[in-house]
Amino acid sequence: MTLRVWDLAHGRSGDKGDICNIGLIARDDAAYTTLCQQVTPARMHQHFGDMIKGDIERYELPNIRALNFVCKGALDGGGTLSLRSDHLGKVMYTWLLRMELDDE
Amino acid sequence: MNRVHQGETGMKSVKLGTGLAFWGDALRPAIDMVERADIQYLCCDHLAELTMSILNKQKARKSDLGYTTDIIPFLRGVLPKCHERGIKIISNAGGSNPEACTEQVMELCRELGLHGMKVATVTGDDILDRIDDLLADGEEFINTDTGQKMAEIRDKVTHANVYIGCDGIVEALEQGADIVICGRVTDAALYLGPMRHELGWAADDWQSLGAGTGVAHCIECGGQATGGLYSGGWHDMPRLASLGYPVTTVTENGEAILSKTPQSGGAVTVGTVSEQLVYEVLDPANYLTADVVADVSQIKLDQVGPDQVHIHNVKGKPAPATLKVNMGYRAGFVGEAQFTYTWPDAVKKAKAGLEFLNERLEQVDFQAEDTRVEYVGHNSMWGPEVVDPPDDPDLQEIVVRFAARCPTKEEARKVFTESVPLYNNGPAGASGIGTRPPIKELYGIWPCLIPRELITTKTTVREVQP
Repeated sequence: MTLRVWDLAHGRSGDKGDICNIGLIARDDAAYTTLCQQVTPARMHQHFGDMIKGDIERYELPNIRALNFVCKGALDGGGTLSLRSDHLGKVMYTWLLRMELDDE
Repeated sequence: MNRVHQGETGMKSVKLGTGLAFWGDALRPAIDMVERADIQYLCCDHLAELTMSILNKQKARKSDLGYTTDIIPFLRGVLPKCHERGIKIISNAGGSNPEACTEQVMELCRELGLHGMKVATVTGDDILDRIDDLLADGEEFINTDTGQKMAEIRDKVTHANVYIGCDGIVEALEQGADIVICGRVTDAALYLGPMRHELGWAADDWQSLGAGTGVAHCIECGGQATGGLYSGGWHDMPRLASLGYPVTTVTENGEAILSKTPQSGGAVTVGTVSEQLVYEVLDPANYLTADVVADVSQIKLDQVGPDQVHIHNVKGKPAPATLKVNMGYRAGFVGEAQFTYTWPDAVKKAKAGLEFLNERLEQVDFQAEDTRVEYVGHNSMWGPEVVDPPDDPDLQEIVVRFAARCPTKEEARKVFTESVPLYNNGPAGASGIGTRPPIKELYGIWPCLIPRELITTKTTVREVQP
């Protein structure tokens, strides 16, 4: 069976100008370890392709088993200018939840 | 009536309720809260990034507009109870016209017979009229994202408001205000103001202010902390339609218990609060506000009872030397059209319909800076960047959304007018074009900074007279 981020985490996303931040919250300690190992900015660039045009920075919040991804150039110029239906990046996190992981 | 709450620990505490999280938010949660929850303050955020552009446009049209008008029905719903129970209200509904907002609020107090109420106005965030002087004095308002100078958009600027901190709110409360009307204070300041006032934190007590800001971030989006939008288990979330908003007790050590209105829907769990904590955060170790730099990277959340989460281990660092400016500029218009095709050959017809629209737009010399095609139900949230257009020849139906960013309203209007003939001149079986959609004016946000010493806030307190 395919292992996806959604099997290990839930999340939320939002906007700050042309930045979309995506937060993931791991379901348990083992899940957090796997997410830290596998959900890297490089992997995310592959998964999001041209949807995220700038850099992706990753931050860790270990005590709540959360990862925060700051994705630049991700909202078609920013929430107030974007032609996208999801101009505020409200569901960007669900695209990350779909990402497939290596099942160790 | 400055009630000092002391819990079993002997520490001072303050009980804060989240009333509204944005302009247009539901009024019911606040009404339920003032009736059923034990709170001292009702804190209300009405402003998003774009809101100030809209409000300034209204003020330009009529000088007594420019505030978020939802404050009046909101206060009409909660004020009698707040007055009876001594609950104070902190709001940024003043938007780009806090003075006009205050007038309307005082008028409402008179109408409700609430004489003796003290209403404060906090101003000083609006620098639109000062921009040219500031530019002449050497401020450049460099775009912090792109490095561009502000001169490029100077003639298109619609508003310029500085995100100010909680000083003015603290001052208003010290002068006995029952209602505090602000403009563009930070969302966190709406909560940090009463914390500082009640808990006696100094303006440079970075640790406490940082901790309080972390708490404020958890609750400032209302229902998003109490089960609204919860992705971890939305199907188990009880009674979302009667969602309770956050009710939070903050103690003088900066720790808090986040709960919600008794007998309301939703839930407060480590999961619901965690999702809100990561919402709209950049570097969690450096959460910048006007009052303090908070560090939420090591935050701890513990479930200490049903619908009760203990928030602790948030740190603080000195406030930044600069304040963030929310500057907006006119950036054109969006024209949109949406149409539906059905089986047989739904996808082929949709693509032919798009060609038809593009050809007609060319015939009228259509000018656009950018266009976008999305297929609703297939890739409208992702776009062609990651999900190809549909190709299933047996598809039951498909909705096409076409949007264009245009320099003028006239160009944007062409998108609709040239899509109308799809009804009777285009490929077979188009439907769902619908009524003429409003043409949306676009505002760009120009993120920039200003040294904090250039900003002075002013607090005025007035009493409601018969």
